[in-house]
Amino acid sequence: MSRPAAPKASFLASLLELPKNVWSSIFRNPLPSNDLERSATSFTNFFLHIHPVKVHKHSLRPAYTFGLGLISFFLFVILTVSGILLMFYYVPSTSQAYDRMLDLRGSVAFGTLLRNMHRWAAHGMVAVVFLHLCRVFLTGSYKKPREFNWVVGVILFLLTLFMSFTGYLLPWDQLAFWAITVGTAIAGYAPIIGKDIQFLLMGGTSVGQEALLRFYVLHVAVLPAILTLMIAIHFWRIRKDGGLSRPEDADPKVSLVAMENAVEVKASVLEPKKVYGFQGLVRGPLTKVGEIPDNTVYSWPNLFLAELFVFVITLSAILVLSLLFNAPLEEPVNALHPPNPAKAPWYFLGLQEMVSYSAFWGGIGVPGIFVLLLLVAPYLDRSPKGVGKWFSRDRLLANTIFITFVVANIIFVIIGTFFRGANWAFVTPW
Amino acid sequence: MAVNLKRSSGEDAEGGRTSRRRMLGWLTGAGLFGSAGLSAVSNFVFIKPRATYGQPQRFSVGKPEDYPSGTRAILAPRGICIVREDSKLAAISITCTHLGCTVGAADTGFACPCHGSRFDQDGNVTGGPAPRPLPWFQVTLAPNGEIEVDKDIEVSPGSYLTL
Repeated sequence: MSRPAAPKASFLASLLELPKNVWSSIFRNPLPSNDLERSATSFTNFFLHIHPVKVHKHSLRPAYTFGLGLISFFLFVILTVSGILLMFYYVPSTSQAYDRMLDLRGSVAFGTLLRNMHRWAAHGMVAVVFLHLCRVFLTGSYKKPREFNWVVGVILFLLTLFMSFTGYLLPWDQLAFWAITVGTAIAGYAPIIGKDIQFLLMGGTSVGQEALLRFYVLHVAVLPAILTLMIAIHFWRIRKDGGLSRPEDADPKVSLVAMENAVEVKASVLEPKKVYGFQGLVRGPLTKVGEIPDNTVYSWPNLFLAELFVFVITLSAILVLSLLFNAPLEEPVNALHPPNPAKAPWYFLGLQEMVSYSAFWGGIGVPGIFVLLLLVAPYLDRSPKGVGKWFSRDRLLANTIFITFVVANIIFVIIGTFFRGANWAFVTPW
Repeated sequence: MAVNLKRSSGEDAEGGRTSRRRMLGWLTGAGLFGSAGLSAVSNFVFIKPRATYGQPQRFSVGKPEDYPSGTRAILAPRGICIVREDSKLAAISITCTHLGCTVGAADTGFACPCHGSRFDQDGNVTGGPAPRPLPWFQVTLAPNGEIEVDKDIEVSPGSYLTL
Protein backbone atom coordinates (compact mmCIF):
# COMPACT_ATOMS: atom_id res chain seq x y z
CA MET A 1 0.00 0.00 0.00
CA SER A 2 1.65 3.14 -1.16
CA ARG A 3 1.06 6.34 0.67
CA PRO A 4 -0.98 8.92 -1.23
CA ALA A 5 1.17 11.74 -2.56
CA ALA A 6 1.35 14.83 -0.45
CA PRO A 7 -1.47 17.23 -1.39
CA LYS A 8 1.00 19.98 -2.25
CA ALA A 9 3.04 17.77 -4.57
CA SER A 10 -0.01 16.42 -6.43
CA PHE A 11 -1.37 19.94 -6.87
CA LEU A 12 1.93 21.05 -8.37
CA ALA A 13 1.97 18.02 -10.61
CA SER A 14 -1.50 18.76 -11.97
CA LEU A 15 -0.50 22.40 -12.42
CA LEU A 16 2.43 21.30 -14.53
CA GLU A 17 0.24 19.00 -16.55
CA LEU A 18 -2.48 21.59 -16.99
CA PRO A 19 -1.65 22.65 -20.58
CA LYS A 20 -1.37 19.06 -21.70
CA ASN A 21 -4.61 18.07 -19.99
CA VAL A 22 -6.54 21.00 -21.41
CA TRP A 23 -5.21 20.18 -24.86
CA SER A 24 -6.10 16.52 -24.65
CA SER A 25 -9.54 17.34 -23.28
CA ILE A 26 -10.23 19.41 -26.39
CA PHE A 27 -8.55 17.14 -28.93
CA ARG A 28 -9.34 13.66 -27.78
CA ASN A 29 -7.03 12.00 -30.27
CA PRO A 30 -3.34 12.40 -30.87
CA LEU A 31 -2.29 13.35 -34.39
CA PRO A 32 -3.20 10.17 -36.23
CA SER A 33 -0.50 7.69 -36.98
CA ASN A 34 -2.59 4.63 -37.83
CA ASP A 35 -5.91 3.91 -39.50
CA LEU A 36 -7.83 3.62 -36.25
CA GLU A 37 -6.66 7.05 -35.14
CA ARG A 38 -7.37 8.46 -38.60
CA SER A 39 -10.94 7.22 -38.31
CA ALA A 40 -11.29 8.49 -34.76
CA THR A 41 -9.99 11.95 -35.68
CA SER A 42 -12.55 12.37 -38.47
CA PHE A 43 -15.26 10.94 -36.28
CA THR A 44 -14.80 12.82 -33.01
CA ASN A 45 -13.89 16.30 -34.21
CA PHE A 46 -16.91 18.59 -34.53
CA PHE A 47 -15.59 20.32 -37.63
CA LEU A 48 -14.37 17.14 -39.28
CA HIS A 49 -17.24 14.80 -38.51
CA ILE A 50 -19.31 16.24 -41.36
CA HIS A 51 -16.92 14.24 -43.53
CA PRO A 52 -17.03 10.51 -43.97
CA VAL A 53 -14.20 8.60 -42.33
CA LYS A 54 -13.25 7.22 -45.72
CA VAL A 55 -13.76 8.85 -49.07
CA HIS A 56 -13.86 7.39 -52.54
CA LYS A 57 -10.78 8.00 -54.70
CA HIS A 58 -13.01 9.08 -57.58
CA SER A 59 -14.43 11.93 -55.46
CA LEU A 60 -10.92 13.27 -54.90
CA ARG A 61 -10.11 13.59 -58.59
CA PRO A 62 -9.53 17.30 -59.26
CA ALA A 63 -10.69 17.01 -62.86
CA TYR A 64 -14.00 15.49 -61.80
CA THR A 65 -15.30 18.23 -59.51
CA PHE A 66 -12.70 21.01 -59.94
CA GLY A 67 -13.53 21.63 -56.27
CA LEU A 68 -16.32 23.96 -57.40
CA GLY A 69 -18.75 23.17 -54.59
CA LEU A 70 -16.04 23.64 -52.00
CA ILE A 71 -14.90 26.90 -53.59
CA SER A 72 -18.51 28.14 -53.48
CA PHE A 73 -18.68 27.28 -49.79
CA PHE A 74 -15.34 28.91 -48.97
CA LEU A 75 -16.40 32.04 -50.87
CA PHE A 76 -19.56 32.05 -48.77
CA VAL A 77 -17.41 31.88 -45.63
CA ILE A 78 -15.21 34.75 -46.87
CA LEU A 79 -18.38 36.72 -47.70
CA THR A 80 -19.85 36.09 -44.26
CA VAL A 81 -16.72 37.18 -42.43
CA SER A 82 -16.03 40.25 -44.58
CA GLY A 83 -19.74 41.11 -44.59
CA ILE A 84 -20.02 41.04 -40.81
CA LEU A 85 -16.94 43.26 -40.55
CA LEU A 86 -18.38 45.73 -43.07
CA MET A 87 -21.60 45.89 -41.00
CA PHE A 88 -19.61 47.63 -38.24
CA TYR A 89 -19.34 50.72 -40.44
CA TYR A 90 -22.41 50.59 -42.67
CA VAL A 91 -25.65 52.49 -42.06
CA PRO A 92 -28.66 51.60 -44.23
CA SER A 93 -29.80 55.17 -44.67
CA THR A 94 -30.16 57.04 -47.94
CA SER A 95 -28.41 60.05 -46.46
CA GLN A 96 -25.48 58.13 -44.97
CA ALA A 97 -24.88 54.96 -46.97
CA TYR A 98 -22.82 56.53 -49.74
CA ASP A 99 -20.71 58.57 -47.30
CA ARG A 100 -20.02 55.37 -45.41
CA MET A 101 -18.68 53.86 -48.63
CA LEU A 102 -16.33 56.81 -48.98
CA ASP A 103 -15.32 56.38 -45.33
CA LEU A 104 -14.51 52.74 -45.98
CA ARG A 105 -12.21 53.83 -48.75
CA GLY A 106 -10.70 56.79 -46.98
CA SER A 107 -10.58 56.45 -43.24
CA VAL A 108 -11.20 52.86 -42.17
CA ALA A 109 -8.19 50.59 -41.71
CA PHE A 110 -8.40 47.79 -44.29
CA GLY A 111 -11.77 49.25 -45.34
CA THR A 112 -10.93 49.22 -49.04
CA LEU A 113 -9.48 45.73 -48.84
CA LEU A 114 -12.52 44.30 -47.04
CA ARG A 115 -14.96 45.93 -49.42
CA ASN A 116 -12.95 44.67 -52.37
CA MET A 117 -12.87 41.17 -50.91
CA HIS A 118 -16.61 41.24 -50.31
CA ARG A 119 -17.30 42.44 -53.84
CA TRP A 120 -14.96 40.07 -55.66
CA ALA A 121 -15.95 37.10 -53.54
CA ALA A 122 -19.59 37.88 -54.36
CA HIS A 123 -18.87 37.98 -58.09
CA GLY A 124 -16.80 34.83 -57.70
CA MET A 125 -19.56 33.05 -55.83
CA VAL A 126 -22.12 33.77 -58.56
CA ALA A 127 -19.69 32.43 -61.17
CA VAL A 128 -18.52 29.39 -59.21
CA VAL A 129 -21.99 28.35 -58.02
CA PHE A 130 -23.10 28.44 -61.65
CA LEU A 131 -20.07 26.44 -62.78
CA HIS A 132 -20.78 23.94 -59.98
CA LEU A 133 -24.34 23.62 -61.28
CA CYS A 134 -22.93 23.00 -64.77
CA ARG A 135 -20.55 20.35 -63.42
CA VAL A 136 -23.34 18.51 -61.65
CA PHE A 137 -25.54 18.62 -64.73
CA LEU A 138 -22.88 17.64 -67.25
CA THR A 139 -21.78 14.67 -65.14
CA GLY A 140 -25.39 13.52 -64.71
CA SER A 141 -25.01 13.76 -60.96
CA TYR A 142 -28.59 14.93 -60.36
CA LYS A 143 -29.95 11.46 -60.98
CA LYS A 144 -31.39 9.09 -58.45
CA PRO A 145 -30.83 9.18 -55.49
CA ARG A 146 -29.57 12.76 -55.72
CA GLU A 147 -32.71 14.33 -57.26
CA PHE A 148 -33.72 16.39 -54.27
CA ASN A 149 -30.20 17.57 -53.52
CA TRP A 150 -30.12 18.92 -57.08
CA VAL A 151 -33.33 20.83 -56.31
CA VAL A 152 -31.72 22.22 -53.14
CA GLY A 153 -28.72 23.19 -55.29
CA VAL A 154 -30.88 25.07 -57.80
CA ILE A 155 -32.50 26.93 -54.89
CA LEU A 156 -29.02 27.74 -53.57
CA PHE A 157 -28.10 29.16 -56.99
CA LEU A 158 -31.19 31.40 -57.00
CA LEU A 159 -30.48 32.49 -53.42
CA THR A 160 -26.91 33.36 -54.44
CA LEU A 161 -28.23 35.57 -57.24
CA PHE A 162 -30.73 37.20 -54.89
CA MET A 163 -27.97 37.76 -52.30
CA SER A 164 -25.83 39.59 -54.82
CA PHE A 165 -28.82 41.55 -56.11
CA THR A 166 -29.81 42.75 -52.61
CA GLY A 167 -26.14 43.49 -51.92
CA TYR A 168 -25.53 45.95 -54.66
CA LEU A 169 -28.31 48.31 -53.62
CA LEU A 170 -26.50 48.97 -50.36
CA PRO A 171 -23.77 51.43 -51.51
CA TRP A 172 -26.63 53.67 -52.70
CA ASP A 173 -24.77 54.71 -55.81
CA GLN A 174 -26.17 55.13 -59.30
CA LEU A 175 -25.80 51.44 -60.19
CA ALA A 176 -27.61 50.52 -56.98
CA PHE A 177 -30.55 52.82 -57.47
CA TRP A 178 -31.28 52.06 -61.10
CA ALA A 179 -30.63 48.34 -60.81
CA ILE A 180 -33.18 48.11 -57.99
CA THR A 181 -35.64 50.32 -59.87
CA VAL A 182 -35.39 47.97 -62.84
CA GLY A 183 -35.20 44.77 -60.78
CA THR A 184 -38.31 45.50 -58.75
CA ALA A 185 -40.11 46.58 -61.93
CA ILE A 186 -39.26 43.18 -63.47
CA ALA A 187 -40.81 41.53 -60.39
CA GLY A 188 -43.89 43.65 -61.08
CA TYR A 189 -44.35 41.84 -64.39
CA ALA A 190 -44.86 38.47 -62.66
CA PRO A 191 -48.42 37.27 -63.13
CA ILE A 192 -51.01 37.86 -60.39
CA ILE A 193 -48.71 38.52 -57.41
CA GLY A 194 -46.13 40.62 -59.30
CA LYS A 195 -47.37 44.01 -58.16
CA ASP A 196 -47.64 42.86 -54.54
CA ILE A 197 -44.08 41.49 -54.58
CA GLN A 198 -42.86 44.76 -56.06
CA PHE A 199 -44.66 46.73 -53.36
CA LEU A 200 -43.34 44.48 -50.57
CA LEU A 201 -39.76 44.74 -51.87
CA MET A 202 -39.84 48.51 -52.20
CA GLY A 203 -41.91 49.12 -49.06
CA GLY A 204 -43.72 51.78 -51.03
CA THR A 205 -44.37 52.95 -54.54
CA SER A 206 -40.87 54.14 -55.37
CA VAL A 207 -37.29 53.16 -54.52
CA GLY A 208 -36.19 55.10 -51.45
CA GLN A 209 -35.33 54.75 -47.78
CA GLU A 210 -37.84 51.95 -47.21
CA ALA A 211 -36.41 49.92 -50.09
CA LEU A 212 -32.84 50.41 -48.84
CA LEU A 213 -33.78 49.21 -45.36
CA ARG A 214 -35.68 46.22 -46.73
CA PHE A 215 -32.86 45.13 -49.01
CA TYR A 216 -30.42 45.56 -46.12
CA VAL A 217 -32.46 43.29 -43.85
CA LEU A 218 -32.82 40.73 -46.64
CA HIS A 219 -29.09 40.90 -47.40
CA VAL A 220 -27.67 40.63 -43.87
CA ALA A 221 -30.29 38.53 -42.07
CA VAL A 222 -33.07 36.82 -44.00
CA LEU A 223 -31.16 35.49 -47.01
CA PRO A 224 -27.98 34.45 -45.12
CA ALA A 225 -30.14 32.52 -42.66
CA ILE A 226 -32.00 30.70 -45.45
CA LEU A 227 -28.75 30.16 -47.37
CA THR A 228 -27.01 28.70 -44.31
CA LEU A 229 -29.90 26.33 -43.68
CA MET A 230 -29.98 25.22 -47.31
CA ILE A 231 -26.20 24.70 -47.37
CA ALA A 232 -26.51 22.53 -44.26
CA ILE A 233 -29.22 20.45 -45.95
CA HIS A 234 -27.16 20.29 -49.15
CA PHE A 235 -24.10 18.94 -47.30
CA TRP A 236 -26.13 16.56 -45.13
CA ARG A 237 -27.76 15.03 -48.17
CA ILE A 238 -24.42 14.54 -49.93
CA ARG A 239 -23.51 12.19 -47.08
CA LYS A 240 -26.91 10.51 -46.95
CA ASP A 241 -26.93 9.99 -50.72
CA GLY A 242 -23.66 8.08 -50.51
CA GLY A 243 -21.11 10.77 -51.25
CA LEU A 244 -20.34 12.29 -54.63
CA SER A 245 -21.64 10.62 -57.74
CA ARG A 246 -19.31 8.25 -59.52
CA PRO A 247 -19.55 5.89 -62.46
CA GLU A 248 -20.45 2.27 -61.83
CA ASP A 249 -17.03 1.06 -62.87
CA ALA A 250 -15.34 3.16 -60.17
CA ASP A 251 -15.92 0.35 -57.70
CA PRO A 252 -14.39 -3.08 -57.99
CA LYS A 253 -16.92 -5.76 -58.88
CA VAL A 254 -17.99 -7.87 -55.95
CA SER A 255 -19.83 -10.86 -57.32
CA LEU A 256 -22.28 -12.47 -54.99
CA VAL A 257 -23.30 -15.79 -56.45
CA ALA A 258 -26.84 -16.65 -55.57
CA MET A 259 -27.64 -20.14 -54.46
CA GLU A 260 -29.44 -22.16 -57.05
CA ASN A 261 -32.64 -22.63 -55.15
CA ALA A 262 -32.65 -19.27 -53.38
CA VAL A 263 -35.92 -17.38 -53.13
CA GLU A 264 -36.49 -13.81 -52.00
CA VAL A 265 -38.28 -13.49 -48.68
CA LYS A 266 -38.76 -10.52 -46.43
CA ALA A 267 -36.75 -10.53 -43.24
CA SER A 268 -39.91 -9.92 -41.25
CA VAL A 269 -41.31 -13.20 -42.53
CA LEU A 270 -38.31 -15.18 -41.40
CA GLU A 271 -37.83 -13.40 -38.12
CA PRO A 272 -40.96 -11.49 -37.15
CA LYS A 273 -39.74 -10.75 -33.63
CA LYS A 274 -36.34 -9.46 -34.64
CA VAL A 275 -35.45 -5.82 -33.93
CA TYR A 276 -32.96 -4.09 -36.17
CA GLY A 277 -30.21 -1.62 -35.18
CA PHE A 278 -30.08 1.87 -36.62
CA GLN A 279 -27.18 0.79 -38.82
CA GLY A 280 -29.74 -1.11 -40.85
CA LEU A 281 -31.32 2.18 -41.93
CA VAL A 282 -28.20 3.74 -43.43
CA ARG A 283 -28.48 3.94 -47.17
CA GLY A 284 -25.78 3.69 -49.75
CA PRO A 285 -22.35 2.12 -49.75
CA LEU A 286 -21.26 3.59 -46.44
CA THR A 287 -21.64 0.65 -44.12
CA LYS A 288 -19.16 -1.96 -45.05
CA VAL A 289 -18.58 -5.09 -43.13
CA GLY A 290 -15.52 -7.23 -43.47
CA GLU A 291 -12.93 -7.03 -46.16
CA ILE A 292 -14.92 -6.16 -49.26
CA PRO A 293 -12.46 -4.46 -51.62
CA ASP A 294 -13.21 -0.84 -52.32
CA ASN A 295 -11.53 2.24 -53.76
CA THR A 296 -11.70 4.41 -50.67
CA VAL A 297 -8.97 6.17 -48.77
CA TYR A 298 -8.98 7.75 -45.33
CA SER A 299 -10.32 11.29 -45.19
CA TRP A 300 -7.44 12.17 -42.91
CA PRO A 301 -5.23 13.27 -44.57
CA ASN A 302 -6.38 12.81 -48.18
CA LEU A 303 -9.66 14.77 -48.17
CA PHE A 304 -8.68 17.32 -45.54
CA LEU A 305 -5.47 18.27 -47.30
CA ALA A 306 -7.38 18.65 -50.58
CA GLU A 307 -9.91 20.90 -48.83
CA LEU A 308 -7.19 22.93 -47.18
CA PHE A 309 -5.53 23.35 -50.56
CA VAL A 310 -8.77 24.56 -52.17
CA PHE A 311 -9.35 26.97 -49.28
CA VAL A 312 -5.87 28.46 -49.51
CA ILE A 313 -6.15 28.84 -53.27
CA THR A 314 -9.61 30.47 -52.97
CA LEU A 315 -8.58 32.90 -50.25
CA SER A 316 -5.34 33.79 -52.05
CA ALA A 317 -7.16 34.43 -55.31
CA ILE A 318 -9.65 36.75 -53.59
CA LEU A 319 -6.85 38.53 -51.73
CA VAL A 320 -4.79 39.05 -54.87
CA LEU A 321 -7.84 40.32 -56.80
CA SER A 322 -8.71 42.66 -53.94
CA LEU A 323 -5.20 44.06 -53.78
CA LEU A 324 -5.04 44.59 -57.53
CA PHE A 325 -8.53 45.86 -58.33
CA ASN A 326 -10.76 48.22 -56.39
CA ALA A 327 -14.48 47.50 -56.21
CA PRO A 328 -16.24 50.08 -58.34
CA LEU A 329 -18.33 52.80 -56.74
CA GLU A 330 -20.38 54.94 -59.06
CA GLU A 331 -21.67 58.45 -58.56
CA PRO A 332 -24.04 58.97 -55.62
CA VAL A 333 -27.69 58.32 -56.37
CA ASN A 334 -29.30 60.75 -58.73
CA ALA A 335 -32.92 59.67 -58.82
CA LEU A 336 -33.54 62.04 -61.72
CA HIS A 337 -31.01 60.81 -64.23
CA PRO A 338 -30.03 57.21 -64.83
CA PRO A 339 -26.49 56.76 -66.09
CA ASN A 340 -26.50 56.27 -69.83
CA PRO A 341 -26.27 53.39 -70.57
CA ALA A 342 -27.39 52.02 -67.18
CA LYS A 343 -25.76 48.60 -66.97
CA ALA A 344 -26.22 45.87 -64.40
CA PRO A 345 -23.25 43.75 -63.17
CA TRP A 346 -22.02 41.28 -65.79
CA TYR A 347 -23.98 38.30 -64.48
CA PHE A 348 -27.27 40.14 -64.90
CA LEU A 349 -26.41 41.66 -68.30
CA GLY A 350 -27.82 38.64 -70.12
CA LEU A 351 -31.09 39.25 -68.28
CA GLN A 352 -30.91 42.97 -69.05
CA GLU A 353 -30.31 42.21 -72.73
CA MET A 354 -33.32 39.88 -72.70
CA VAL A 355 -35.65 42.39 -71.00
CA SER A 356 -34.61 44.94 -73.63
CA TYR A 357 -36.66 42.79 -76.01
CA SER A 358 -39.60 42.08 -73.72
CA ALA A 359 -39.98 42.80 -70.02
CA PHE A 360 -42.19 39.81 -69.32
CA TRP A 361 -40.51 37.22 -71.49
CA GLY A 362 -36.97 38.41 -70.83
CA GLY A 363 -37.36 39.00 -67.11
CA ILE A 364 -39.97 36.45 -66.01
CA GLY A 365 -40.94 34.04 -68.80
CA VAL A 366 -37.65 32.71 -70.17
CA PRO A 367 -35.75 32.70 -66.83
CA GLY A 368 -38.80 31.11 -65.20
CA ILE A 369 -38.94 28.34 -67.79
CA PHE A 370 -35.18 27.76 -67.44
CA VAL A 371 -35.42 27.47 -63.65
CA LEU A 372 -38.47 25.22 -63.92
CA LEU A 373 -36.65 22.95 -66.38
CA LEU A 374 -33.67 22.80 -64.01
CA LEU A 375 -35.91 21.90 -61.08
CA VAL A 376 -37.76 19.09 -62.84
CA ALA A 377 -34.76 17.75 -64.82
CA PRO A 378 -34.03 14.86 -62.40
CA TYR A 379 -37.71 13.85 -62.40
CA LEU A 380 -38.02 13.84 -66.19
CA ASP A 381 -34.62 12.33 -66.98
CA ARG A 382 -34.90 9.01 -65.13
CA SER A 383 -32.38 6.96 -67.09
CA PRO A 384 -29.64 5.76 -64.74
CA LYS A 385 -27.05 5.82 -67.51
CA GLY A 386 -24.14 8.21 -67.80
CA VAL A 387 -23.81 9.10 -64.13
CA GLY A 388 -20.41 10.22 -62.95
CA LYS A 389 -18.82 10.92 -66.33
CA TRP A 390 -18.28 14.27 -68.01
CA PHE A 391 -20.18 14.61 -71.30
CA SER A 392 -21.31 10.99 -71.28
CA ARG A 393 -22.56 9.85 -74.68
CA ASP A 394 -25.63 8.43 -72.96
CA ARG A 395 -26.62 11.96 -72.00
CA LEU A 396 -26.13 13.64 -75.35
CA LEU A 397 -29.66 15.06 -75.56
CA ALA A 398 -29.87 16.43 -72.00
CA ASN A 399 -26.37 17.89 -72.15
CA THR A 400 -27.04 19.49 -75.54
CA ILE A 401 -30.21 21.21 -74.30
CA PHE A 402 -28.40 22.41 -71.19
CA ILE A 403 -25.36 23.70 -73.05
CA THR A 404 -27.62 25.49 -75.55
CA PHE A 405 -29.25 27.44 -72.71
CA VAL A 406 -25.87 28.23 -71.14
CA VAL A 407 -24.30 29.37 -74.42
CA ALA A 408 -27.37 31.47 -75.24
CA ASN A 409 -27.05 33.23 -71.89
CA ILE A 410 -23.32 33.77 -72.40
CA ILE A 411 -24.03 35.31 -75.82
CA PHE A 412 -26.61 37.64 -74.26
CA VAL A 413 -24.09 38.61 -71.56
CA ILE A 414 -21.46 39.35 -74.22
CA ILE A 415 -23.90 41.43 -76.27
CA GLY A 416 -25.02 43.33 -73.17
CA THR A 417 -21.44 43.92 -72.03
CA PHE A 418 -19.70 44.92 -75.22
CA PHE A 419 -22.30 45.72 -77.86
CA ARG A 420 -24.64 48.10 -76.04
CA GLY A 421 -23.99 51.82 -75.80
CA ALA A 422 -25.97 54.95 -74.93
CA ASN A 423 -29.74 54.39 -74.82
CA TRP A 424 -28.99 50.65 -75.12
CA ALA A 425 -28.35 51.14 -78.83
CA PHE A 426 -26.31 48.51 -80.66
CA VAL A 427 -22.68 49.59 -80.94
CA THR A 428 -19.56 47.81 -82.05
CA PRO A 429 -16.77 47.82 -79.47
CA TRP A 430 -14.04 48.41 -82.06
CA MET B 1 -30.96 1.42 -29.78
CA ALA B 2 -33.24 -0.64 -31.82
CA VAL B 3 -35.89 -0.12 -34.41
CA ASN B 4 -39.11 -2.04 -34.38
CA LEU B 5 -40.16 -2.87 -37.89
CA LYS B 6 -43.77 -3.47 -36.94
CA ARG B 7 -45.95 -0.55 -37.91
CA SER B 8 -47.47 0.99 -34.83
CA SER B 9 -50.10 3.22 -36.38
CA GLY B 10 -53.52 1.92 -37.15
CA GLU B 11 -55.08 -1.10 -35.56
CA ASP B 12 -56.26 -1.04 -32.02
CA ALA B 13 -56.95 -4.14 -29.96
CA GLU B 14 -60.08 -5.05 -31.93
CA GLY B 15 -58.38 -4.50 -35.28
CA GLY B 16 -59.72 -1.72 -37.47
CA ARG B 17 -61.97 0.97 -35.95
CA THR B 18 -59.42 3.74 -35.94
CA SER B 19 -61.69 6.55 -37.01
CA ARG B 20 -61.48 8.48 -33.73
CA ARG B 21 -57.69 8.33 -33.64
CA ARG B 22 -57.51 9.34 -37.27
CA MET B 23 -59.91 12.19 -36.72
CA LEU B 24 -57.85 13.50 -33.80
CA GLY B 25 -54.72 13.14 -35.90
CA TRP B 26 -56.25 15.17 -38.71
CA LEU B 27 -57.43 17.85 -36.31
CA THR B 28 -54.00 18.10 -34.69
CA GLY B 29 -52.34 18.37 -38.08
CA ALA B 30 -54.81 20.93 -39.34
CA GLY B 31 -54.34 22.97 -36.16
CA LEU B 32 -50.55 22.92 -36.29
CA PHE B 33 -50.14 23.53 -40.00
CA GLY B 34 -53.01 26.00 -40.03
CA SER B 35 -51.38 28.07 -37.29
CA ALA B 36 -48.04 27.89 -39.10
CA GLY B 37 -49.70 29.06 -42.30
CA LEU B 38 -51.52 31.88 -40.55
CA SER B 39 -48.27 33.00 -38.88
CA ALA B 40 -46.54 33.04 -42.25
CA VAL B 41 -49.35 35.09 -43.78
CA SER B 42 -49.37 37.50 -40.84
CA ASN B 43 -45.64 38.10 -41.39
CA PHE B 44 -46.43 39.32 -44.88
CA VAL B 45 -49.27 41.47 -43.55
CA PHE B 46 -46.75 42.94 -41.12
CA ILE B 47 -44.13 43.81 -43.71
CA LYS B 48 -46.67 45.31 -46.09
CA PRO B 49 -46.68 48.98 -45.14
CA ARG B 50 -50.03 50.64 -44.55
CA ALA B 51 -48.68 54.14 -44.98
CA THR B 52 -46.03 54.98 -47.53
CA TYR B 53 -43.87 58.02 -47.85
CA GLY B 54 -43.91 59.67 -51.23
CA GLN B 55 -44.25 62.89 -53.07
CA PRO B 56 -47.68 64.42 -53.55
CA GLN B 57 -49.23 63.32 -56.81
CA ARG B 58 -50.97 66.66 -57.33
CA PHE B 59 -48.78 69.71 -57.50
CA SER B 60 -48.29 73.12 -59.05
CA VAL B 61 -45.64 73.69 -61.68
CA GLY B 62 -45.72 77.48 -61.98
CA LYS B 63 -47.46 79.95 -64.25
CA PRO B 64 -48.12 79.48 -67.96
CA GLU B 65 -45.72 82.37 -68.67
CA ASP B 66 -42.86 80.19 -67.44
CA TYR B 67 -43.35 77.96 -70.46
CA PRO B 68 -43.19 79.96 -73.70
CA SER B 69 -44.58 78.39 -76.85
CA GLY B 70 -42.46 75.55 -78.17
CA THR B 71 -41.12 74.65 -74.73
CA ARG B 72 -40.50 71.04 -73.80
CA ALA B 73 -39.41 71.35 -70.17
CA ILE B 74 -38.40 68.17 -68.36
CA LEU B 75 -39.18 68.50 -64.65
CA ALA B 76 -37.16 65.52 -63.46
CA PRO B 77 -38.03 65.69 -59.73
CA ARG B 78 -41.73 65.56 -60.67
CA GLY B 79 -41.24 62.89 -63.31
CA ILE B 80 -43.02 64.86 -66.03
CA CYS B 81 -42.31 66.85 -69.17
CA ILE B 82 -44.33 70.06 -69.69
CA VAL B 83 -45.11 70.61 -73.37
CA ARG B 84 -46.35 74.02 -74.56
CA GLU B 85 -47.45 74.70 -78.09
CA ASP B 86 -49.05 78.09 -78.70
CA SER B 87 -51.96 78.17 -76.27
CA LYS B 88 -51.98 74.42 -75.65
CA LEU B 89 -50.26 72.84 -72.65
CA ALA B 90 -49.82 69.21 -71.48
CA ALA B 91 -47.85 67.10 -69.00
CA ILE B 92 -46.30 63.85 -70.26
CA SER B 93 -44.80 61.25 -67.90
CA ILE B 94 -41.04 60.66 -68.23
CA THR B 95 -41.13 57.35 -66.33
CA CYS B 96 -40.51 54.59 -68.85
CA THR B 97 -43.49 52.24 -69.13
CA HIS B 98 -41.06 49.34 -69.57
CA LEU B 99 -39.18 49.07 -66.27
CA GLY B 100 -39.43 52.46 -64.63
CA CYS B 101 -36.22 54.25 -65.64
CA THR B 102 -36.36 57.98 -66.28
CA VAL B 103 -36.37 58.70 -70.02
CA GLY B 104 -34.35 61.57 -71.40
CA ALA B 105 -35.07 64.02 -74.20
CA ALA B 106 -33.93 62.87 -77.63
CA ASP B 107 -34.07 64.44 -81.08
CA THR B 108 -37.19 62.52 -81.97
CA GLY B 109 -38.89 62.67 -78.58
CA PHE B 110 -37.78 60.56 -75.62
CA ALA B 111 -35.25 57.74 -75.21
CA CYS B 112 -34.64 55.39 -72.28
CA PRO B 113 -31.03 54.70 -71.25
CA CYS B 114 -31.79 51.40 -69.54
CA HIS B 115 -33.21 49.17 -72.25
CA GLY B 116 -33.44 51.36 -75.33
CA SER B 117 -37.15 52.18 -75.50
CA ARG B 118 -37.84 55.14 -77.78
CA PHE B 119 -40.87 57.43 -77.85
CA ASP B 120 -41.96 60.22 -80.19
CA GLN B 121 -42.76 63.79 -79.12
CA ASP B 122 -46.21 62.73 -77.91
CA GLY B 123 -44.90 59.73 -75.97
CA ASN B 124 -45.97 57.05 -78.45
CA VAL B 125 -43.65 54.03 -78.60
CA THR B 126 -41.47 54.10 -81.71
CA GLY B 127 -39.03 51.36 -80.75
CA GLY B 128 -37.66 49.17 -78.01
CA PRO B 129 -39.42 47.02 -75.43
CA ALA B 130 -41.82 49.58 -73.88
CA PRO B 131 -45.31 48.03 -73.84
CA ARG B 132 -47.33 51.25 -73.59
CA PRO B 133 -46.97 54.91 -74.59
CA LEU B 134 -45.91 57.42 -71.95
CA PRO B 135 -49.09 58.48 -70.11
CA TRP B 136 -50.38 62.05 -70.18
CA PHE B 137 -51.54 63.57 -66.90
CA GLN B 138 -54.43 65.91 -66.22
CA VAL B 139 -53.43 69.58 -66.30
CA THR B 140 -55.70 72.29 -64.92
CA LEU B 141 -55.39 76.00 -64.30
CA ALA B 142 -55.82 76.78 -60.60
CA PRO B 143 -57.72 79.95 -59.53
CA ASN B 144 -54.42 81.61 -58.61
CA GLY B 145 -53.29 81.28 -62.23
CA GLU B 146 -50.84 78.42 -61.65
CA ILE B 147 -50.72 75.20 -63.64
CA GLU B 148 -51.71 72.17 -61.60
CA VAL B 149 -50.74 68.62 -62.59
CA ASP B 150 -52.47 65.56 -61.13
CA LYS B 151 -50.45 62.39 -61.71
CA ASP B 152 -53.28 60.25 -60.36
CA ILE B 153 -55.47 61.14 -63.34
CA GLU B 154 -54.34 59.99 -66.75
CA VAL B 155 -55.80 61.62 -69.82
CA SER B 156 -55.75 60.35 -73.38
CA PRO B 157 -52.67 61.42 -75.37
CA GLY B 158 -53.28 64.57 -77.33
CA SER B 159 -55.69 66.16 -74.84
CA TYR B 160 -54.17 69.55 -74.11
CA LEU B 161 -55.20 72.24 -71.67
CA THR B 162 -56.13 75.27 -73.77
CA LEU B 163 -55.11 78.50 -72.10
